[in-house]
Amino acid sequence: MLNLIIGILLLATLAPKLEVTNNWVRPSSKDMNTAVYAVIKNNSDKADTLYSVSSNLAKVTEIHETYEKDGSMGMRKVDFIVIPAKKSFELKPGSHHIMLIKLNQDIQKGKKYELTYKFKRAGEIKVSAVANDKASGHGTH
Amino acid sequence: MKILKIFFHLQISIPLLLLISLSGCKSDFELNENLQGFSFTLSDQDGKTVKFTSDQKGKLIVVGFIFTHCPDICPLTVNNMQLVQKELKKEGIEGVEFLAITFDPERDSVKLLKKFSALREIDEKNFRFLTGPRKEIDSLMSVMRIVAVTGDTTMIDGSASYFYTHTDRISIIDQRGFLRTEYPGSKANIEEIVNDIKKLR
Ligand SMILES: [Cu+2]
Repeated sequence: MLNLIIGILLLATLAPKLEVTNNWVRPSSKDMNTAVYAVIKNNSDKADTLYSVSSNLAKVTEIHETYEKDGSMGMRKVDFIVIPAKKSFELKPGSHHIMLIKLNQDIQKGKKYELTYKFKRAGEIKVSAVANDKASGHGTH
Repeated sequence: MKILKIFFHLQISIPLLLLISLSGCKSDFELNENLQGFSFTLSDQDGKTVKFTSDQKGKLIVVGFIFTHCPDICPLTVNNMQLVQKELKKEGIEGVEFLAITFDPERDSVKLLKKFSALREIDEKNFRFLTGPRKEIDSLMSVMRIVAVTGDTTMIDGSASYFYTHTDRISIIDQRGFLRTEYPGSKANIEEIVNDIKKLR
């Protein structure tokens, strides 16, 4: 019994408090723009905040959201995204995304690209996003 | 610097409305705007002149509006058009032309459109990306009721960076040049478009 409890406790501490998974980026070319998508899983019992994403892939990296107004689609910068305790937040096409403005390089299908997500509690999380031109945000994992 | 461009010309809509009421309606499609007389001179991704809609007479046209600097919405719209194209090919349905027209001709050169097409592995047999002079694009947009407004421009590395807030639409124009049906471009249902194409053939 004690072993079981220890086991469960161990598992709980081993599971990362915050995960950034299903990372993918839409292929694009140098000097153009593109968007990065992911699923952010907050396994902890406290809310966390994504406040910045950095990368060497583009001149500017921003957190964005796509919105609809009077039948038109637009896009705007958001300052942060709150991920509630024990909840997931999906960065997906037609919704929130990480915006890469003026790419320093081509983003080629099948290749991997590094980014760093910055959270208030969990700190910096490095991810590698696969270039993929699918319409849906559901990952390849 | 803020550039604001609103494309909406009422004087074109009134004769259009007259034409709608004069034309007979076939099948269950509500729209029936006559675009027959139009011949907008544009260039495709190979630099070839394409006249819209006169060059496509006798074919069904699936038309979408995009700008290639768009990161999140327009790639979905192009992807949806591509999925429809693939499905038609699979089912052996011919006589359909796919046109993705830019509302950002200042940046969307023939060369850039070609690159965009190659990147998305577009089957260019019946799929063209079109650009043209600003004036031509503006009149075409007002005829098609497409609105695109630029947001703030920021200078990045010496070049202007800006995005459009724009109508997100895929439309179908029939063989006679009548605009028949429209879909939300990035969220379009592929099956629905394919079924409508079958009805309109
Ligand atoms: Cu964006």
